[in-house]
Amino acid sequence: MVAPTLVILAVVIGYPIVRAILMSFQRYKPLSGLPATNTGLNNYHEVFGDPIFWESLRNTAVYTFGSVAVSALLGLLLALLTENLGGRWRYVRSLLLTPWAVPLIVVAFLFRYMLDQDYGVVNAVLRHLGIIHSNVHWLTSSAWAMPSVMLANIWTQLPFFFLIFTAGLASVPNEVIEAARVDKAGPWAMATRIKLPYLTGSALVAILISVINNFNDFAKVWAMTEGGPGYSTTTLVVYVYRLAFSSFNMGYAATVGTIWLILLVIFAVLYIWLLQRKSAS
Amino acid sequence: MHPRSTGGTTDRKRPQLRRLGSHLAVLPVVAVTALATACGGSGGNQTQNTPTSEHPVTITFANWADSEQATRPGIEDMITKFEAVHPEIKVKSEPISFTDIGHTMVLRVQSGNPPDVAELSGNDTFAVAATGALANLDSYAGDLKSSFIPAEIAAGTYQNHLIALPWTVNPPGLWYNKQLMAGAGLDPNSPPKTRDELMTDLAAIKAKYPDVIPLGLDSTNRDFSLTSNWSWMKSFGAQPFSGDKASANTGQMKDYLSWMRELAQKQYTSPGKKIGEFRPLAAQNKVAFVWDQPVLQGVVQSTNKETDDQFYANWGVAAQPTGTGGKSYSVELGHQLVAFNKSPNKQAAFTFMKWLATDPQAVTGYTVKYESSLPPMANPSADIAKVIGTPTLQAFARDVMPTIVKPEFGPTYSEAYSPIMAGVQSVMTGSTPVDSVASTIQSGLESAFK
Repeated sequence: MVAPTLVILAVVIGYPIVRAILMSFQRYKPLSGLPATNTGLNNYHEVFGDPIFWESLRNTAVYTFGSVAVSALLGLLLALLTENLGGRWRYVRSLLLTPWAVPLIVVAFLFRYMLDQDYGVVNAVLRHLGIIHSNVHWLTSSAWAMPSVMLANIWTQLPFFFLIFTAGLASVPNEVIEAARVDKAGPWAMATRIKLPYLTGSALVAILISVINNFNDFAKVWAMTEGGPGYSTTTLVVYVYRLAFSSFNMGYAATVGTIWLILLVIFAVLYIWLLQRKSAS
Repeated sequence: MHPRSTGGTTDRKRPQLRRLGSHLAVLPVVAVTALATACGGSGGNQTQNTPTSEHPVTITFANWADSEQATRPGIEDMITKFEAVHPEIKVKSEPISFTDIGHTMVLRVQSGNPPDVAELSGNDTFAVAATGALANLDSYAGDLKSSFIPAEIAAGTYQNHLIALPWTVNPPGLWYNKQLMAGAGLDPNSPPKTRDELMTDLAAIKAKYPDVIPLGLDSTNRDFSLTSNWSWMKSFGAQPFSGDKASANTGQMKDYLSWMRELAQKQYTSPGKKIGEFRPLAAQNKVAFVWDQPVLQGVVQSTNKETDDQFYANWGVAAQPTGTGGKSYSVELGHQLVAFNKSPNKQAAFTFMKWLATDPQAVTGYTVKYESSLPPMANPSADIAKVIGTPTLQAFARDVMPTIVKPEFGPTYSEAYSPIMAGVQSVMTGSTPVDSVASTIQSGLESAFK
């Protein structure tokens, strides 16, 4: 039973990875009509002097860690605020989960239309309220594009953290809560000293899963800005896509892709290590 | 440490390993078989079939016409009509979006699975041609070539061979909204003839209608966008590259970039929008001037349901306002039809291509009706001449077509457009000095062409 699994894994996962890594050492441009030629470490040397690569890496870090940090904090806050909701109010928690059910590409287009500089509802409302006097170019200004894409991303992944933290809060033993109440712990002390320590393990795992997901996120960025304006929202995955499927510079795209893969593997190893440590404890 | 237990485990594993070894030994056979199957299929048979109505051949037609709501009914109708005229040929449409069709064709060529016929445009035609996968149409076209507009034949020629049959003629021109012009105190029958006049008109529109976009101009990071902007660069005497030689860090290019910054800063245009996003706005009189192809008319009318007379009363089209050298420029962005070398049914494929491009039924029923475009023939028949005698198509034929220049299409174009358009977006949306952006474009191009 092991062999077929290994064969499938080798074909579906192993071959593309090995092929991409091999290609990362080659100069391969299908449109040139020339076959792939080995160039050793040339592509890797080129990457380190490539300003767009560094900008993409910086954008990826801002997008990933910024989105995850804000989503985790807001998710925690909402979980704490809605923890004791009862009666009809408990449905608020279901309502908070709805963004998670919306397909990513729909989220991207929803936000794209809402944030349209000329006819988007966001500018219309802000102008109506007198907060702005001229339209803000949310998705087409170098300063606002990244925060706007992150806003859509945070909106869609907030429920994930909310769910994780709500489940974590439910697992805090009642005896501990009762003991803290007897000791007259206030809401702040209850949250930070009693409940948060119980959430640390699940929070770490959720954050790592989220980091990996955000690191790979293509659909939202591409649908909202295609990496622009300029390169202001170009993340590594968008850069690889442009290199491979617009410029057809396959060898160089494979090089950037391999570096991206190495970074992802580091996160994945960290995730597995955390899982093992958690199950051991 | 625990020899017995270790040995026991090893003993248990040996038969499994042997089985795994035997399975793995089969792998090369499976791989070779799979490869042979993948390379085979319909494309593997290189013989030319002789189709009959009893034994028709089926050709595959990759196109974006069938993927767009506005043109889908038209192209489906054309395929039905073609099959009625040619019962020996069946056409299987493969809808692929306009944005994706170029790279999809390159990837399908790489994987040995191209269609028989494809609809391509702009640089996509030459990017696919560079792979060597497109059929040489010289022998199929023969004398037919002389019946086409020479510039259209030139636009489909690569390395001295016809590789793309012109289908629709679609250069961008300057559309102007007469109602908005009149409202802003401008003469609606006198569109701007120079760039200075254009800027004056844009200022008048902005002052009178703050919520109207004065000029619709595609500034996305796509090869289509570079092609659309190529004529504006040329009007400044700029050409960001030639062959594989970058020339973006020039005074002319900086003048063009400064002008684009001025358009954005004065809010004369809306940066980052695809030309397709301006079209529905044009239908609502929310754009005063649009640098767009004849197809704008079809989109506007299908959106606001204006009659032809209402449309012509509201919209006119003119050549690009002249720039530094006193000349107007446009580029050919028409749709072309290509056949692939790997197709076993090239003759049937060409029959279909020729019918779509030249048959009066196809020209009047699709090219003009659904694409609002001109046909590629030099001397169209009376039937066709009658339907293309509209004010806007005549303006395109008379004023815009003579200004067409061919951009530096080819493999380098695919690598060049992204650094150039990223730079254009930077000047339009950021504050980096123009000199610095021009220098960045230059180094980006030099790096891409290495």
